[in-house]
Amino acid sequence: MDQEAARTARESLDLAFHMSNVLDAGIDRHTLSVLIALCDMGVNPEALAAVVKELRREPPSSDTIVSSNKS
Amino acid sequence: MEEDDSTKVLDLIKDLVLRLLSHNPTSNSSPTSSDFQKSLRYAIRILTSRMTPSIAPDAAAIAESIKRRLATEGKSSQALTFADLYTKFASKTGPGSVNNKWAVLYLLKIVAEDRKCRQTQFESSMLLPNLVASDPVLGKKSGAAPEKEWQKGVLLVAKDPENLRDVAFKEFSNLLKEENEVTEEVLVRDVLYACQGIDGKYVKFDNNSDGYVLSNLVKASRATRTMVRKLCEMGWLFRKVKGYISESMERFPAEDIGTVGHAFCAALQDELSEYYKLLAILEAQSMNPIPLVSEAASSGNYLSLRRLAVWFAEPMAKMRLMAVLVDKCRVLKGGTMAGAIHLHAQHGDPLVLEFMRRLLRRVCSPLFEMVRSWVLEGELEDIFSEFFVVGQQVKAESLWREGYRLHAGMLPSFISQSLAQRILRTGKSINFLRVCCEDMGWADAATEAAAAAGTTTKRGGLGYGETDALESLVDEAAKRIDKHLLDVMHKRYKFKDHCLAIKRYLLLGQGDFVQYLMDIVGPELSEPANAISSFKLSGLLETAIRSSNAQYDDPDILDRLKVKMMPHGTGDRGWDVFSLEYEARVPLDTVFTESVMSKYLRIFNFLWKLRRVEHALIGTWKTMKPNCITSCSLTKLHHGVKLQLLSTLRRCQVLWVEMNHFVTNLQYYIMFEVLEVSWSDFSNEMEAAMDLDDLLAAHEKYLHSIFEKSLLGEQSQTLCKSLFVLFDIILRFRSHADRLYEGIHELQCRTIESSLPSRDKSKKSRTTERSLETASWIADGKKALTQRAGEFLRNVEQDLAALAKEYSSLLEEFISQLPLQQHVDLKFLLFRLDFTEFYSQLRPHV
Repeated sequence: MDQEAARTARESLDLAFHMSNVLDAGIDRHTLSVLIALCDMGVNPEALAAVVKELRREPPSSDTIVSSNKS
Repeated sequence: MEEDDSTKVLDLIKDLVLRLLSHNPTSNSSPTSSDFQKSLRYAIRILTSRMTPSIAPDAAAIAESIKRRLATEGKSSQALTFADLYTKFASKTGPGSVNNKWAVLYLLKIVAEDRKCRQTQFESSMLLPNLVASDPVLGKKSGAAPEKEWQKGVLLVAKDPENLRDVAFKEFSNLLKEENEVTEEVLVRDVLYACQGIDGKYVKFDNNSDGYVLSNLVKASRATRTMVRKLCEMGWLFRKVKGYISESMERFPAEDIGTVGHAFCAALQDELSEYYKLLAILEAQSMNPIPLVSEAASSGNYLSLRRLAVWFAEPMAKMRLMAVLVDKCRVLKGGTMAGAIHLHAQHGDPLVLEFMRRLLRRVCSPLFEMVRSWVLEGELEDIFSEFFVVGQQVKAESLWREGYRLHAGMLPSFISQSLAQRILRTGKSINFLRVCCEDMGWADAATEAAAAAGTTTKRGGLGYGETDALESLVDEAAKRIDKHLLDVMHKRYKFKDHCLAIKRYLLLGQGDFVQYLMDIVGPELSEPANAISSFKLSGLLETAIRSSNAQYDDPDILDRLKVKMMPHGTGDRGWDVFSLEYEARVPLDTVFTESVMSKYLRIFNFLWKLRRVEHALIGTWKTMKPNCITSCSLTKLHHGVKLQLLSTLRRCQVLWVEMNHFVTNLQYYIMFEVLEVSWSDFSNEMEAAMDLDDLLAAHEKYLHSIFEKSLLGEQSQTLCKSLFVLFDIILRFRSHADRLYEGIHELQCRTIESSLPSRDKSKKSRTTERSLETASWIADGKKALTQRAGEFLRNVEQDLAALAKEYSSLLEEFISQLPLQQHVDLKFLLFRLDFTEFYSQLRPHV
């Protein structure tokens, strides 16, 4: 059973990764798996997306920049 | 368990941040660096913020939306691949699969969009490097390493937030943005405002074009403009209707808007409040988004201009109708207004029909209320003169004929002319009963009528569209009230008795009375008119009544019989001015009006004259009658004189017979062909009369027929004139005949006187000579007497001959005129007069 589940998980991850590629989301496999895990934990996807967006651009050097980015 | 979860989440986040940072080439990705710590804190802050997803968790919808976007971007193959992948992804269920599929998808979608957005921005920034101020991220970035990519000056300008150009640029973009947002929801809101007659932000009332227009400053497509203009027609119509209502209401008590106009306004107001309700609902709806989860662009507000157009279709039709009505009715009022609105109700569209019906019920209710109170109570509650029955202040006697009339202008077209007539008559009858007859029994009749018609006597029992009910109510009321009125007229006021009395006294139907009156009044009337006292004549009338059968008549009737002296000129004899009068009191004076009585008077005059002539002829006959004896005693006269006397007497007799024939037949004709026939017709019609109008008409007809047949009408004026000349001749004949018989009588006296003394001596006729000698009158004896008698007789005979000639020529003329008359009854008169065809045979010779 565990093996089955692992396979399903892997396949799901594969599919998600494919979709991500199709959409040109620019997320690598590992990151995606972490994101899926977080989603499954019930984390708000919108917030996650925001984190991804923010952190991909640059390190947050100061709070003012963050706020200006958000706008 | 929670602890466990949170540490797990924290770990995952740490991992995520690490991974993300490792992608970023500019940052240090070691887990211990300050950058990492900062990023982690930042990430945690974002995640712990209470950001909630703005859409419902629906994986399929999100997938669909992504697919569609790919397709619209022209990447159809990718869209297909994605769809394929999604179906596979969605089919993965059970342990190990992703539970929160929609979240994953959503995440992917947002990240992908964000990335694309940045790419395009980047591209545009590459193309227009001098205008990249809008991207503060890049600006910041370039600020971090300015010398590498762009020239310093430009970048410094871009970087400076205080820079004017920057500010202006921002404002401009905001303005553009705002203009772009003017698309739907704002316009819808404005249109809704405009439809309530309020100026919106962009849609305003323009006096020049007389309508609501979308401001020219706003950028909108031609189609949108047209749409807005079309929708705003509603606002224009609304303004019109609203304006009319407020204007009317303002003027209401002071000026003549009238109750019908008021009702119309109220009905319009109701319709408008319906319309307000609709607008309120629409406005509420316009705030809500369409309850559909789809792409953000299409999930706009519920109301679009097009939807609004659909919503407005029906109210628009109504509003248009109302505006048309308002236009039509601006100057109208009362029944005219109801009629005009009724004309608009003739429509095939059930919607319009229903609407108009509702409106008309309201509009007509005051009118029907007036009809009801008029028909059942005889009340004219019409302060603003809107009703089609108009009353005016008149005396009681002309109440029926002139008191009320129909006002054709105020008669709405859904009430037919005949119905209106009946309505008028019913109310009139009630008023007549109340005012003239002082009768209260009509109230019962009215209640009965209302009960029979199935409506209550209360207000608001009738309405528009129930013309049948109205008609039956009017019919029932009319039937009962008319019957009651006739009952009152006949039983209480003895209409027929009075008619009969008039016939007997004014039309000389009561023979013995007339004969007696003629006998005792005759000497008085021969006096000049100004010497006659009407008191004395009244006394004589009393005597005549008391000594004839008239004394057994109703004292009330006899009381009304009066002598009337007509205005007389100089030289008029009593005969010309004497007449009888019958006093008609309320309510009978409605029938016997002054004009009617003057006609009766003319008829009376004519009949009186005829009677007088007849009376004169009879008088002549009386003097002629004993003559057979006297003529015997005249045998002793000289032969020549005797012959002359006989021929004169004969001429006189013949003339008398001729005249008597004429007068008797005329009399007969008047009495039997005219008076009695007309009376019998009148009695029949009186029985059959359904209402007072019928009765009046019957009486009118009766009088008219008498009038016409008695040669008193307009057409037979020449005939009448020659008839009166004939009467004059007959009267003249009477005086001649009287003279003749007086002369004969005197002659006889003389003869007897002269013969009396000789009768003792001898029985010879010769002895008269002697006695005549003694007589002072005839001094010259018998010869002179004979001569005088001969002279006298010759004179008389000459007069009689002239009279006879005049008479026969006039009679000829009269008879020849008879067949030219229109009236068929005059043929009978001719037939009677010329029964032996004596006159018609005579005519060719003349």
